[in-house]
Amino acid sequence: MRINTTRFGRIDIETDDLLHFASGLPGLEDCQRWALLADAGNDALGWLQATSRSDIALAVVSPRRFVPDYQVRIPRSELSPLAMRDLRDAQLLVVVARHAETLTLNLKAPIVINVEARTGRQVVASGDLPMRYELIGQRSSLKKSA
Amino acid sequence: MLVLSRQRDESIMIGDSIVVTIVDIRGDKVRLGINAPAEVPVHRQEVYEAIQRENVRASRLAPEQAEEIGKLAGRGPVPNSGKAGESARG
Repeated sequence: MRINTTRFGRIDIETDDLLHFASGLPGLEDCQRWALLADAGNDALGWLQATSRSDIALAVVSPRRFVPDYQVRIPRSELSPLAMRDLRDAQLLVVVARHAETLTLNLKAPIVINVEARTGRQVVASGDLPMRYELIGQRSSLKKSA
Repeated sequence: MLVLSRQRDESIMIGDSIVVTIVDIRGDKVRLGINAPAEVPVHRQEVYEAIQRENVRASRLAPEQAEEIGKLAGRGPVPNSGKAGESARG
């Protein structure tokens, strides 16, 4: 299928590549079908693009790549809607946001994807985890010129 | 909104599978015990609302605003690799 996106133009998506979020995402409850796209210039970055809203896309990353010691415990109630037989089938992503000059990761509410079933859910992890984990090192452009 | 008065150790039932018990009352703080089926997530409302706000904010991010993330990444799984080497522990 072909979808329109404000960020990436018109793109072709294989139906098999779509992810179904039965509950939508908090704040974006209307968006149940998403496509996970690779960022053209950046292999650390992916985009969850809503298929029904061209303007809605979430930048996502694999948390371990940025927060090596990220340990996440997810209550069973959060995972059971995904009906995963094996948790090893899960892919874990976190949402990237920007607050002023800083990129942040929402470590409290990771997105769990059942790779096998192509279903996904944003869950609330247990414990004291930040919703705005700040990624430091933003000033590397200054270093470059020094 | 339905408003009910309850004392300590008393409960209310929501449907036939969710029981909310007043565990303790101290000053202006009430401790609740919640028994719900495993498939019913229970959250503090302010946590859920904060996630909503973060998502809405994040959904307005433009690709150029996320560019620098490449400089901040270590080695590891990439988001579109299908199966990343992570496991969600439940």
